[in-house]
Amino acid sequence: MDEFELLRYVTVGQYIPTGSLIHRLDPRFKLAAFAVLVGAVTFTGSYLGNAVLLVLIVGLVFLSRVPLRYVLSGLRPALPVLLLLAALQILLYTPDFTRGTNCTTLFQFWIIHSTTCGVKLAIVSAARFVELLMLTSLLTLTTTTTELTHGIERLFAPLQQRFNFPAHELALIVTITLRFVPTFAEELERIVKAQVSRGADLGQRGRLRFIQQTRALLPMLVPLFLGALRRAEELILAMEARCYMGGKGRTRLIELHSTRQDVVALFVAVLAAATVLLVPWPW
Amino acid sequence: MSEVVVEVRGLEHTYMRGTPMEAPSLKGVDFDVRRGETVALLGHTGCGKSTLVQHLNGLLRPQKGRVRVLEYDLNDPKVDVKALRRRVALLFQNPEAQLFERYVGDDVAFGPRQLGLSREEVRARVREALEAVGLGFEAFKDRLTFTLSGGEKRRVALAGVLALRPEILVLDEPLAGLDPAGRRHLVELIRRLKSEWGLTLILVSHDLEDVVLLADRCFVMADGRVVLSGTPREIFSQPPARLAEFGLQPPAVTAAVHALAEAGLGVRRDCLTVDEAVSEIARALGMGGKPWTSSSCCAT
Amino acid sequence: MASPAEPIVRLEGVRHVYGPHGGKGVEALRGVSLAFYAGEHVAIIGPNGSGKSTLAKHLNALLLPTEGDVWVKGWNTRDPRHWRDVRSTVGMVFQNPDAQLVATVVEEDVAFGPENLGVPRDELRARVDWALDVVDMQAYRFRPPHLLSGGQKQRVAIAGVIAMRPQVLVLDEATAMLDPLGRRDVLRTVEHLNREAGMTIVAITHFMEEAALADRVVVMHAGQVVLDGPPREVFRQRERLQAWGLDVPHVTELAARLHALDPAFPPDVLSIEELVETACQVWAGQEKAL
Repeated sequence: MDEFELLRYVTVGQYIPTGSLIHRLDPRFKLAAFAVLVGAVTFTGSYLGNAVLLVLIVGLVFLSRVPLRYVLSGLRPALPVLLLLAALQILLYTPDFTRGTNCTTLFQFWIIHSTTCGVKLAIVSAARFVELLMLTSLLTLTTTTTELTHGIERLFAPLQQRFNFPAHELALIVTITLRFVPTFAEELERIVKAQVSRGADLGQRGRLRFIQQTRALLPMLVPLFLGALRRAEELILAMEARCYMGGKGRTRLIELHSTRQDVVALFVAVLAAATVLLVPWPW
Repeated sequence: MSEVVVEVRGLEHTYMRGTPMEAPSLKGVDFDVRRGETVALLGHTGCGKSTLVQHLNGLLRPQKGRVRVLEYDLNDPKVDVKALRRRVALLFQNPEAQLFERYVGDDVAFGPRQLGLSREEVRARVREALEAVGLGFEAFKDRLTFTLSGGEKRRVALAGVLALRPEILVLDEPLAGLDPAGRRHLVELIRRLKSEWGLTLILVSHDLEDVVLLADRCFVMADGRVVLSGTPREIFSQPPARLAEFGLQPPAVTAAVHALAEAGLGVRRDCLTVDEAVSEIARALGMGGKPWTSSSCCAT
Repeated sequence: MASPAEPIVRLEGVRHVYGPHGGKGVEALRGVSLAFYAGEHVAIIGPNGSGKSTLAKHLNALLLPTEGDVWVKGWNTRDPRHWRDVRSTVGMVFQNPDAQLVATVVEEDVAFGPENLGVPRDELRARVDWALDVVDMQAYRFRPPHLLSGGQKQRVAIAGVIAMRPQVLVLDEATAMLDPLGRRDVLRTVEHLNREAGMTIVAITHFMEEAALADRVVVMHAGQVVLDGPPREVFRQRERLQAWGLDVPHVTELAARLHALDPAFPPDVLSIEELVETACQVWAGQEKAL
């Protein structure tokens, strides 16, 4: 057991290059298609609609050539919460019968009231969660963080011109955040290990447990924050030294090119979303 | 001979096991330390030396192979690592970054307080530890930590682990980032810990620097394995090309005598200190005595 | 060494006080006047807290003098209109390899500086290629920085600076956090830039062996320049350097001790090659004397 190996759990920004079709899509179109599909997942309440989306997403995962098992591995930590949520929905969800919903009661005991609607809600929300997680993983596993930020910056660039929306600044903030997530994970790991080595105890118990536990975190938090502040200061200096003075007048190394594939991909996403949302699925 | 306090056999370790980013770090390491010994663990960044020492106080557990430290068997999942960590202290690289209390005294007292000692005892330990690193108790206990110089902060961090009164002390890159005066100071301090405290010391370094001369034995690691072991004299006097193979640079003094010997001057190649090299070169050049003669010297 | 009349960077009576203006702050520089000329390789050494880092940050307007002036190619660093010119003329690499790479991919990080300068895209690509070539990091251009070693990160940082085509490269303890291999690679890169590209190098360092490689060594102590000259002259002052908490390279100390035994042995040797050469000469001389 590696109780301190934190880096492993940082999956944001983990990119798996397989060179697939999904990888090669223009990030602007990929982001747009992603947004459309997320919308479809969010607003679909039927079994069949979700089934269609699930099939589509699994298909996309195969197309991306990232192992399905790896995409799903992010689910494991969320599983207990997911199960608890489902149980609560099945056992406690009471639909508003006055509004003529066609729910039938499965069984009722004390405050427990289980209906078909509760079961449906549980299954649909679990499906939604899995779909959203797979979609997000798929996006980050097949898109480098730079592509992502370039995509965001260019997608919002028209807004910057017209409404002074800070697209460049936003993209820069995202880039720097993603750049430093692994660095901070490493640093946190080092700090935790160092403090444990000098006698810190992470699992204290006592009457004032909450206070003690918060206090037990200070040896980690103080160095982490001081380190982060120092690093931020150094980063600002380094950026200034390299003539950074805001987005005005900057040129860019990376140019984005869209091809017919990208248009087709976006079209497929819109079509799928329309099908799922507009067709009156029987159940 | 004294008892073996650290025994590592066939240790293997892979980071990020079971992910696409798997990175093997240790590939079968054998390593042992006896009580009271000073051992140096050498090698360039990424050779596995940090991974190895993290096994010694239970920060990492053996994935394959055996690790025993004092009477603790790290292969036993129920081993009391908290008790182990009190007796084996590990000071990471740039430990000054880990200070978190406002006052020097409080920071040094952190470890002893975690042990649940009485006020008087904590105070006694802080005094002892601060004096041991050459910072006067009265003068420093109420100083604000952030006003200290880099070298002073490092010594406070060292005092913080000494206050646990460990039996084994592991120092990871103790001299990194210090200026020449700070380096001299710390080498002297470690020498005293060795002779006066009788600690079992494990020094981890990527430089063949002065502090390594304090070691009784050295282990050179490369690519997850121990590739060379012996006394500092045996290690330092290896041909520079062989050390370079393992990503190490010979210390200037040994590099100098090696170069002189290569040029044909009859000097011993295993000089460790400036003193030794001076008398060796002086002898070879016949300074203050009869000149040394050889037909092959400095043929070019 | 040929020194053109006009220095690239000139400091005139620079004082710098950290903290409140007028109040009592910490005086990090107490009247420093220095000039750096084209093509020079200067090392700045000094104990911790001697003001050498503060000095470095004055060379490209990251800090402004409390008193006195800094001129870069005739621009006063106090004038914000010229900060872009100043900073693209005097590039700077910092100590911490983890705090100066901005982008999530190596090549984009190298492009960051020239992008800020508004270099057109075609030239941008050429500059990135060139800079990565110089630091020998072409093979890593699509890697994320956090998977590189310390020495590799520092070389990327150097590439990011030289892609702005500066005339002066300031290294603020850029090798302090590296292992010997990383240090060697960075030093080689710097040597190459100085020798082949004629870039002026100002390197702040704790390593006396590194300083011995320079053309000129400036010694700082308590906010002032206390010695300034070729390494041979500077490292002859062993007692003074040690009193300031500094040292001389081991080889120089070796030679100095041999000199004390026998004045025939010159005291001011800077490298192992020189030591071998001198030892051979001394030996040959004694052979003849017999």
